[in-house]
Parts: sequence; structure tokens; C-alpha cells
Amino acid sequence: MARKIKGPQMIVANRLLDGRVVFLKADGGWSAVAADAAVAADEAGVDALEALAQKSADDNFVLSIEVIDATERDGKPYPAHMKFAMQALGPSVRPDLGYQVSPAWEQTDL
Amino acid sequence: MTLVNLTGIQAGDFSLLADDHSPEEGAAVAVPLSRLTDEGDDFFKVAGPVGAVLTTDTNHADLAPLMNKLAFVVVDFPAFGDGRGFSLAVRLRKDLGFKGEIRATGPVIPDQALFLLRAGFDTVEVADERAEAFKAALKRFDSFYQTDYTGQVSLAHARHKATEERKAS
Amino acid sequence: MYAYDKYDHALVNARVEEFRDQVNRRVKGELTEEEFRPLRLMNGLYLQLHAYMLRVAVPYGTLNGTQMRKLAHIARKYDKGYGHFTTRQNIQYNWPKLSETPDILQELADVEMHAIQTSGNCIRNVTTDQFAGATADEVADPRPYAELIRQWSTFHPEFSFLPRKFKIAITGADIDRAAVKWHDIGLVVKKNDAGEIGFEVLVGGGMGRTPVIAKTIRDFLPEKDLLSYLEAILRVYNEQGRRDNKYKARIKILVDALGADEYARQTEEEWQKIKDQPIDFPAEEAARIKAYFAPPPLQVLSDDVPAVDELAKKNFLFAAWLQNNTNQHKVPGHVNVTISLKPHGGIPGDATAEQMDLVAALADEYSQGELRISHEQNLILPHVAKKDLPAIWTDLDEAGLGIPNAGLLTDIIACPGLDYCSLANARSIPLAQQLGKRFDDFKRLQDIGPLKIKISGCINSCGHHHAGHIGILGVDRKGEENYQLLLGGSGAEDASKAAILGPGFDENGIIDAVEKVVAVYLGEREEGEEFLATYRRVGPQVFKEAVYDAR
Ligand code: HEM
Ligand code: SF4
Repeated sequence: MARKIKGPQMIVANRLLDGRVVFLKADGGWSAVAADAAVAADEAGVDALEALAQKSADDNFVLSIEVIDATERDGKPYPAHMKFAMQALGPSVRPDLGYQVSPAWEQTDL
Repeated sequence: MTLVNLTGIQAGDFSLLADDHSPEEGAAVAVPLSRLTDEGDDFFKVAGPVGAVLTTDTNHADLAPLMNKLAFVVVDFPAFGDGRGFSLAVRLRKDLGFKGEIRATGPVIPDQALFLLRAGFDTVEVADERAEAFKAALKRFDSFYQTDYTGQVSLAHARHKATEERKAS
Repeated sequence: MYAYDKYDHALVNARVEEFRDQVNRRVKGELTEEEFRPLRLMNGLYLQLHAYMLRVAVPYGTLNGTQMRKLAHIARKYDKGYGHFTTRQNIQYNWPKLSETPDILQELADVEMHAIQTSGNCIRNVTTDQFAGATADEVADPRPYAELIRQWSTFHPEFSFLPRKFKIAITGADIDRAAVKWHDIGLVVKKNDAGEIGFEVLVGGGMGRTPVIAKTIRDFLPEKDLLSYLEAILRVYNEQGRRDNKYKARIKILVDALGADEYARQTEEEWQKIKDQPIDFPAEEAARIKAYFAPPPLQVLSDDVPAVDELAKKNFLFAAWLQNNTNQHKVPGHVNVTISLKPHGGIPGDATAEQMDLVAALADEYSQGELRISHEQNLILPHVAKKDLPAIWTDLDEAGLGIPNAGLLTDIIACPGLDYCSLANARSIPLAQQLGKRFDDFKRLQDIGPLKIKISGCINSCGHHHAGHIGILGVDRKGEENYQLLLGGSGAEDASKAAILGPGFDENGIIDAVEKVVAVYLGEREEGEEFLATYRRVGPQVFKEAVYDAR
């Protein structure tokens, strides 16, 4: 699918079983940390990432896949827009309990 | 496709009449309503049992003239969320007094099985792998809060019927 | 309070099992997300920015101590220790796991609660006056009717896939605390000249991008005809409501397109055909349900309680709380207490599990085990003896719940906004927090008097900004959060739509603008005149000048 992109892109989704925010990594796996995200700089790259993400959706692992603008923070990938930055961190009004508190994968009963 | 029978009616065995084909003599055919309204008596004489295929936006009033000619009705859902199909079945039973088979086609989902039944549908055409889920869904609830037009009386009534019967005995 | 019988229990339990099965089928891939979504929504389960969100109904805002303790338990065990009470008399949990929601629903079913039809294109949780059955200004307790509607609308075979969500509100009081004119159907309990109970029926109210105030289509509907008449309204809507554009799918658009008179005519025509069918509840059923809402056996007591007066004299905060957070009960010597969930700097509507437990304990001790939730996102202890107020306030105050701001400027309604909501343009909660800090002076608040600020993070209007005396709407301005200021709305019996005052502001700008608006009011008001009355009298121009000219 030909598409026009304005800049680097990354993919965010939610994990099906617990809804947790996850970012697509280059190997097709997912991370809770935006910094681990794969970033695509061109259209072909985005298509490839999207295909990887779609495979996870088809496997019922994630849902709500979004291709989003990526920027950098501390030299690492980060969502460019506020809404998705909010996803990376958790609610700004509860810094005590968003993902910024424990960004690593939590053991859940998956 | 599998036909799931909700009410135990004698389900019709018919085929969809292709556009600009005439029915074979005595054949059971389902015909889009838009075409049926233009057909004269001859059409109904030649064909066997005739049914109308309705889109969910059909106005039930348009069906009134056809009522004594139709053996069955097919309501074709374009999407399972198109709730007009339920009102249409209600109208057929309630306002038009239709007694024949009402069939649902289209992407309805198993979780709607009881709603379909209670709105007045008899049968549903479903993907083979969904037939079991449909049948299971029919058994999920056995009492209901609403009186409907298929003979189910609401719990609001049923609760007191039980009291009355106890009083009587 | 209503108590389930074996049928009600069987239905909610069957519903939990149905949902468990649906979740299993979704996880196994037998249901696509597209198919599963409406099913989970009809069980109150959304996907939000950070996680799923579960919206649990508190039918018509009434619950008991045991149920509140269960809500606390769920917050602790399945969530992150808190819940958010909403404008629709629901509670939302922000972090449940899909895999655990069937268990949560089972825990709720165990205490006669559910999340049925708290979302989706179906008839939603019926809302009502938080003081129903307890207030002095009431024709009749609307809750038996709300319960009858709850049952009738639950798993309705014909109306579970409507063009759009459908919200019904009912009040029995002269003062409309349920915003009935902003609902798809509003019902006002009335008595006719013969002393019989019936309803004024309004249709077509709603917020969103096209705010509309509902119109009356029937002045007096006899009590016994309630459900058949609702069925007629719903059938007209289900058949003719638009399904091609979700922003035009609400009943308000259909009522506008047909005209209220035509909507009334079609409803009447359909109703005549069905009104003699056994759709309506029989009288015995109405009596059965009303019996559950019989007034509690309160002793008539004196309204003069010296201990209360003394504490009020000594303690300004208690005096303010007494004035703002209590409402006269119909039995002398009693009041209904509003527990404000709007601490200055806090998150409007949020309560921790510990706070819920405390409130449950207070309910058991002081309010006949009964609690309410208001559409203004506060909790209510009804039927409280005035003499118990000092003890109650002391307990509440220790837990951070004694804030004396009910009905005042900082009693702000705010939707979750961009902090949680995937549809948001801007954050709402931080504005409420900023306003709480800016106006953190109860003497000043008391002087400003009744003023309702309502904040939504996008045009969907979950925060009722259209009905705010001061409304704030979050918009996206080139990727930045921006806020529009609206003035003059009302959600009460004198319902009105707030109007945009002028260009939007950033986060700091909007707080300054509110302060300027308040200053204009203080300068313009006449003796005893409340904000809304002043605005209506002087019009927007003075406010506009004050807010924009000095920029
Ligand atoms: C957080 C997830 C939420 C989502 C996704 C959501 C979604 C929506 C949408 C799409 C509408 C517009 C409906 C329309 O115009 O047809 C709406 C309206 C509304 N919502 Fe929410 N909402 C959410 C949370 C809330 C909360 C927390 C409350 C209560 C505080 C609430 C109460 C309302 C109310 C009162 C309306 C206006 C009713 C009307 O449109 O007439 N919602 N919501
Ligand atoms: S008003 Fe908008 S931002 Fe606020 S909760 Fe509703 S949908 Fe979300």
C-alpha cells in the first residue's frame, strides 16, 4: 500500500489481554518502553513494520495498532505527539502509577 | 452456510431468484422487495412459495400489500449492528400479522441469537463454524424483562403470575 | 433500596458467564476485535489510552455500604487502588485486565451490581436526582420508575443495536439535579389535578458537537403507560435515526429533522397500537418495586441542634460545609450530606479504596446503609440526622473528604481528558487542579457563591461543558492543547446552552480568563445575585471585554 509519510514513524498498540501500551520492536516483538521501538524512515519501512504489527494482531496478541510520528528523546525513539507521549508515560496527573514507574515488562498472568 | 433454526419452524428450502430471471414453475424463490413490488399476479401464479428479501431500511408499510402473497421473508443485515432489522421483524409480526418464516442473513453474530428469536426471527443463516455458538447462545438466558411479540411475557408479569397461581392452589 | 430476586440474580449471573465466554472466544480468535468490541462495550469495557477501562453502573446512583466496599475491593484487587465516579452515576476503573474482567463482573454480581449497558449503542444506565426519595422538594421518588426502566431496557431484544447510545434521566423534584433536559429522554414525575402520578416526557436532548435541549412531547403520561410509551419513542428512533454518520445518529438529530411535533405524533400513533399489550408493568409489580424504596423510618427531630451551631461558630470550614454540603431532608431534623470528591488540587471524581471504605462505614453508621452518587461526581450520605453532622464531618475531614465546596466554583465536573481518554484533544484534569489551587480560599469561594465549572477534553462533552455556568472545552490547536471558554450554560430546570466567548487559550491563559470572568461577576452582581443570573442579565459583552481587551 503506497503511502506518503512526513517523517519517521513508529507503531504503538495495546496488548490484548491487559490493554497495556506496547511499542513494536524491529524483530516483531513488543516493548513497554518507547525507546525500544523500531523507527521507519520511509514508506517501505512503515509498510514492513505495519505488516509485522498486523501479524501480532492476527495472532490475537495486540489490538488498536497506530502508526505514529516518531521523534527522539535522549537519542532514543519517542512519540512526537502529546497523546502518544501520554501513552508512553501514563496519565500526567498520576505520575505515581503510570508506566513511568515500572516501564519494564511486568509479570502478568498472560 | 448452516441454517440455525431458532423456533423449530418448518424452514423453507428456497433459492434466490437471479435478477431478470423468471421463476421456474412451482419453484420456491426469494426475491428482492424492490422487484416484487413491480411483479404482477402472474409472477406469483407461476412460482411456488415466494419470499421477499428485505434490506434493513425497508419501511414495513410498503410490505402491507404483499402480505397475503408472501410465504417467507428474509431480512438481510448489512452489519450486525444495524438494529433496524430487529424492528422490521417486530413490525412484521406485530403490525402485519405475518405468520410465515422470517429469516436473518448477513453478518449477525451468535450473541444476537436470543434477540433475533425474540424480535420474531425463525431462522438464521450462519457460517458453518458459528452454528454451534449460535445454538449455545440460545440457551444463555431463560427469563426476560420484556414482553415481546412472540409470546414471551415480561418478568414484571411473570413474577405475579406465580403469586396468583400459588394463591389459586 | 431495590433487592434482586432470583430472576435478577439469574440474569446477571448468566450475563457474567456469557461475557466470560465472549472473552474466551476473543482470546482464542473466534471473535474478531470488530465483533467483540460492541459486546465488550455493552459490558462497560472500553480500551483507553493506557489500558482497558471498565465502567460499572450504579443504577440511578443508589448503592449500599456493602456495594461500596465491593467497589473498594475491586479497586484494590484488580486496579490501582482507586476509581473514578462519573457524571452518569457510574464508576470507572482505569486499569483492569481483559482477562480479569469476567471475575470483576462476577464479584459485582455477587453484590447485585453490574456493568450491563454502560456503553454501546443501547439504553444506558438510567440516571436520576442524587437526593431522590430524601429531598423536601419532591413529588415522588423517581427511583422505582428508574428501576422499572432499568429492567425493561436490560437486554432489550429490539433496542440493543440502536443508531447510537441512548440516555434516559428522570427526576421527581422541582429542582432538576439530574439534567433531564440534556438527555435523549428526560422524564419529570408529576401529579395531575386528580392527584395521580405521571410523567412529563421530553425527547431529543444531548450534548456532543450539536448541543440540544430536549423538547416536551407529552405533558402528562399516566404512570401505568410508561414502558409502552418509551417503547414507541424508541421504535421510531430505531427505525429512522441516522446510521450513516455517527455524529448525526443521536435522537436529537432525528427530533430536529422531523420536528418535535411530528416526533410526538409518530410516537403517539405507534403508542396507540401497543398501549394495551402487556408491555407495561402490572400494578402489582410497581407496588413490589416501590416497596423497596419505602422511606426509611426516620424520627422527626428538631432542626435546631445547638452542638452543630456551636461548631459552626467556632469553625469556619464546618460552617461552610454545613451550608454548602447539606441539603434539607423531607423529614425535619435530617439532611442529605454531599461528600465532595473535589479536593483542591485533586482529580475530580476520583476516590481511593480507603475513602470508599470510609464512606461505606459512615453510611452504615449514619445513613441507613445507603449512599448516592451525584452527576456532579460527588458522593452522598442521605437521611442523616443533623446531630450526627459534627462526627461525620470530623471523620470525613481526616480522610481529605470534608471539603466544603459543594456547588461552589471548585466543585468542578471534569472528564478524564487526555490523561486517560483516547478521543481527547486536551487534558481536563490539570485545569481542575489549577483552578483548585488558584481559588484555594474558602472565604473567597463562599463569597463568589454557586458557580458551576464544567470541563470536557473534546467536543464529545462528557464533562458537560455546554451546561456549565462556565464551560471549558479542550481543542487541538496545531498539536497543542488549547481551551475554549464558554459562558451561560445550565443543566438545571432552566437549562441553557453555554456560548463560546471568544478565541481559546493555553493552559495558563484559561485559568487567568476564568479569574477575570469571576472578577467581572463580582463587580456587576446585584445583592444576592448568583453568577448565572448576573451573566443572563448583563450579557456576554462585559465579560468579553474584560477577558480579551487587556490581552
Ligand atoms: C473515558 C472514556 C470515554 C469515552 C471514550 C467517551 C465517549 C463519549 C462520546 C463519543 C460521546 C459523544 C456521544 C455523542 O455525541 O453521540 C460522549 C458523551 C458523553 N459522555 Fe463520554 N466518554 C468517556 C468517558 C466519560 C466519562 C468519564 C463520563 C462522565 C464523567 C462521560 C459522560 C458522558 C456524557 C454525560 C456525555 C454527553 C451525553 C450526550 O452526548 O448527550 N463519558 N462520551
Ligand atoms: S469529553 Fe472527550 S476527552 Fe473527555 S472523556 Fe469524553 S471523549 Fe474523552
